[in-house]
Amino acid sequence: MADLAARRPLLRPLRLRPRRAGAVTAGLVLVVAVAGTLLAPILWPLDQSAVALDQTRLAPSWGHLGGTDDLGRDVAHRAVYGLRVSLLVGAVAALVATVIGGLIGGIAGTLGGRVDRVLMRIVDTIAALPHLLLGIFIVAMLRPSLGAVIASVGLTHWLSTARIVRSELLSLRTRTFVDAAISGGAGRRRVLVRHLLPHVLPRLALATTLMIPHAVWHETALSFLGLGLPPHLASLGNMISDGEGSLLTGAWWASLVPGAVIVVVTLAIAVLAARWRDRLDPRVRAELHL
Amino acid sequence: MIRSRPTLRRLVVTTTATGLLALAGCSAPTVPEEPAGRRTFVVATAGESDTLNPVLNYGVDGASLIFDGLVARDAGNRLVPGLAAELPTVSADGRTVTATLRDGVLFHDGGALTATDVAFTYQAVLDPKVDSTLRSDLDMVESVTAPDPATVVFRLRYPYAPFLQRLTLGVVPAKLLDGQDINKAEFNRKPIGTGPYRVESWTPGDRLVLTANERYFGGRPANDRVVVAFVEDDNVRAQRMRAGEFDAAELPPKLATGFAPDDTYRVEQVATADYRGVMLPMGNPVLADVAIRRALNLAVDRAAMVAGILGGTGDPAFGPVPPTSEFAEPSIVGKPTADVTAAAALLDAAGWTPGPDGVRAKNGRPARFTLMYPASDTLRKDLALAVTADAKKVGIEVKPEGLTWDAIDPRMKSDALLMGYGTPYDPDFVSYKLFHSRFAGQGYFNPGSYRSQVVDQALQAGRDQADPARRKAAYATFQKQLAADVPWLFLTYLRHSYVLKSSVQGVSPRVEAHEHGVANSLWWNIDTWTRS
Amino acid sequence: MTTRTAPARRRTGRLAGAAAVVRRRLLVAVPVLVATSVGMFALGAASPVDPAKQYAGAAAFTTSEENLAQIRANWGVDDPLPVQYLRWVGNLLRGDLGWSTSRHEPVTSVLAARAGWTLLLIGVTLAVVLLASLLLGALAAYRRGGLFDRALRAAAYAVESMPVFWIGLAAIAVFALALGWFPAGGLTDVTATGTSWPDVAHHLILPVAVLAVSQAPWFLLFVRDAVAESLRDDHVLAARARGLPGRTVLFGHALRTALLPFLTLVGTHLPELVGGAVLVETVFSLPGLGAVTVEAALGSDFPLLAAITLVTTAVVLAANLAADLAYAAADPRVRLDG
Repeated sequence: MADLAARRPLLRPLRLRPRRAGAVTAGLVLVVAVAGTLLAPILWPLDQSAVALDQTRLAPSWGHLGGTDDLGRDVAHRAVYGLRVSLLVGAVAALVATVIGGLIGGIAGTLGGRVDRVLMRIVDTIAALPHLLLGIFIVAMLRPSLGAVIASVGLTHWLSTARIVRSELLSLRTRTFVDAAISGGAGRRRVLVRHLLPHVLPRLALATTLMIPHAVWHETALSFLGLGLPPHLASLGNMISDGEGSLLTGAWWASLVPGAVIVVVTLAIAVLAARWRDRLDPRVRAELHL
Repeated sequence: MIRSRPTLRRLVVTTTATGLLALAGCSAPTVPEEPAGRRTFVVATAGESDTLNPVLNYGVDGASLIFDGLVARDAGNRLVPGLAAELPTVSADGRTVTATLRDGVLFHDGGALTATDVAFTYQAVLDPKVDSTLRSDLDMVESVTAPDPATVVFRLRYPYAPFLQRLTLGVVPAKLLDGQDINKAEFNRKPIGTGPYRVESWTPGDRLVLTANERYFGGRPANDRVVVAFVEDDNVRAQRMRAGEFDAAELPPKLATGFAPDDTYRVEQVATADYRGVMLPMGNPVLADVAIRRALNLAVDRAAMVAGILGGTGDPAFGPVPPTSEFAEPSIVGKPTADVTAAAALLDAAGWTPGPDGVRAKNGRPARFTLMYPASDTLRKDLALAVTADAKKVGIEVKPEGLTWDAIDPRMKSDALLMGYGTPYDPDFVSYKLFHSRFAGQGYFNPGSYRSQVVDQALQAGRDQADPARRKAAYATFQKQLAADVPWLFLTYLRHSYVLKSSVQGVSPRVEAHEHGVANSLWWNIDTWTRS
Repeated sequence: MTTRTAPARRRTGRLAGAAAVVRRRLLVAVPVLVATSVGMFALGAASPVDPAKQYAGAAAFTTSEENLAQIRANWGVDDPLPVQYLRWVGNLLRGDLGWSTSRHEPVTSVLAARAGWTLLLIGVTLAVVLLASLLLGALAAYRRGGLFDRALRAAAYAVESMPVFWIGLAAIAVFALALGWFPAGGLTDVTATGTSWPDVAHHLILPVAVLAVSQAPWFLLFVRDAVAESLRDDHVLAARARGLPGRTVLFGHALRTALLPFLTLVGTHLPELVGGAVLVETVFSLPGLGAVTVEAALGSDFPLLAAITLVTTAVVLAANLAADLAYAAADPRVRLDG
């Protein structure tokens, strides 16, 4: 990048602009998505069990922006509620994962030594388990339900958080201000609360945010396989699964619309999180690894 | 994403313009024409069996292609002799049934069929160590014996009028299974029968390959091989049918109708005894009121369900005996469309008055109940939602819940459930267990604990008496009482739809049961199929 | 003398190091596998699902309660839990993975019939993804910030946020239904009497492409960053300064440096690939482990689910270990006992 910018300095502002524009767009998308899903029950209430058998498979129009599905239900309307469920599951599951990961990573990072080695070996090994298989197993044994889906996502997604927290803590331990605090006679808890936490919390928040898209994908995958929420409830995975059958009868919108919603929203979250990470750690300037 | 949107739209424009999916046909692999008489038929279904052993519930109602029962059914579902030389005889007291075997029937491995094989088959079903789910259907059998190699004698605990209907069960060779753990025997995957086809190979999840049995007692099949392709996914099955891979395939009605305009295909919609309905439990305080049950029966729009959910390929259902049965009682048939005014009047008269939120209430109790459906069944989900919408129009609030069967189980006493059943063979078969008070609250039999003396007596009379006219009268009483009490909200009879290549000859649809797959589908007589 | 023994000693040292790694890995892996098996068994035991009714399937509706109770007794599902667990683990160790209640055959024969196709799908996809991402990633890094780089990255981000089953549906809609180039599912032509490779290959193109596309972004971005990084390494700059052609510098030097960390990355990404394969197999109705897993989950078939999860885990652990060893063997700077 350095050499290129040096060779073609004019490119620099050009290169930055789309980046910022992207972040702004992503921000707007997210604001609309979150506000829309939060306000939907007031502005645009949905009867989850309503059907209109005389209006099945209507193509998108001004009356039905996303068309209607096999049972005459408005696809766009249900997609809003599907997103609501997905974001809810995503956020709660990401929180569960963060708490578990934060605890394990925190213990490993603060205690260090043998505890750290053992814990990290365990994390490495669990990381070798295929998430989706493990998630399917958990759901199958708990019976498909909202709680089972959240458990399935939360219990399989805490590893990266644990790693991030642990490495952050370990690197802080070698920093001078921590040494200074310790030599200044501060107790372990005080060092942890006053000096370490403020540095770790933003990372933790970032990790949680980055987790949400994963949680959403995991949830939609389970629903798509018929292992998620009850099928008559609007969830993005359920809608794609229902829409699969409509593809052959020409009703492509029934699976396209919910899929597009997933893509746009998760992409927006990822773009914003990447910007956030760049701010947090300008040295790395990572290239958005989702 | 943004890139794929126009592509997908273009796809739809092209496909609809060229007559749904006709384009896919250009990828059709050209099947080499085989010389006349030496032909392979390929049929596709989603219904793969777990085992090919009749003792473990494969092809129990006959037409299993691999096995034969003592009796078989013809195109009108009438009993005809199978392995028995003629229909077995029933003693005057109705408790002894004697069958004489046909001469010279051979198993696929060359072994001769004897009465010992028949006795062994039924004894295996009755053996508690064998995980056979048929045992409760053969409750009445006290013993099966083979007094000589050509005679089988059944002793029954009580007279049972439709007993001969139970003798379609395929007969397995005793010497291959005797002394083995039948639950896990190799035989279950590589069976040996007497039927028109023997098993060449079975790749679970993929296909079952059958070859003609040259020595079939009913005459060598008119074709050489039958391949049953197992394709779980409806869409994939339709696409592969369109690509010319199959001679016949079962498809959901909506997908099957897409083939109708094309001359190279023919769509068969086969009448069934396969009904769907809502079980209304007496243990629910709202549903215990017969006015609510009758109002629901008037409020549901069966015609809209048939048109909207079944794509027009079904029939409104008003009772558990299919209209194709000789036992069907015509007087119970009601209006196929909803009668909201009549339902509302009925509810008003019974004291269920509309509340401020539109939900009716009586003595402070709102007209509200939960309707469970098995979450993996799309059709039942759709029907449950349709019932919910219809009930709302008359002020009854239904809360649909999609659950797994094990979650549904403990709640059947108090919550409504979307169920499906039905066999065309005898009205006793399912209905006795479903509506007799003796089975109240027993598992899936009569989960709603419906109790009616009239129904009990009628059902008992139907099985005790051998005289067809008296049986018919008994079942008429039964159906009328059921229509008055509405312990079930019968919704629709399905039609199983199949797509066939037009060149296939010899197809003879017959009324089908709830369960169908390799056995008992449109290809029940595939051994007579030819190509024009 | 010393010059001759030194490499030899280093090699034995390396081998000993490898043995130590294997031992250390096993020391963790075995307890984890045991803990996983206990956890799974506990979940299975706590599960409210009645295996007898699952077994009976649709027939459960016309089967009496005594009939079901007898089936349960035949299976020993009413024994105390520790007894059941020990019986299960004992059988596992003897190679008997149990009896699949949803498929009505031994778990081992389910695995034997299906694991091969899943391995084939994953193997071919992995090869395609590795080749494509190395090539495209290196090219993007070479002209970093250029049009190709930016387009590739944008595409990678977009693809990364698409659920793989959704990509699969779109691929079927376009390439199978509209264009008719490829079959929409299955593994072989039904009328085919055997399994011919050209036939299988034709059926695998779409699933492999879909799985590869969905997995590629991660690898692609990694290669791009690593190559871009190593393009600034001293020896690469030196090579460039010597006037070597761009292609030689890129593929001969920079890509080679970036290749090593890539090896371990492949290992850590395998679980993702397995998850993707489950979904792709479901969408394309391939007779692999994926479809059977979902079926087992819907039927709460504990023995099959547990066996699939355990076996996959063991395979992934082994693959990871192999990747580590290969990495160490390829790069002498890595200390194996670290």
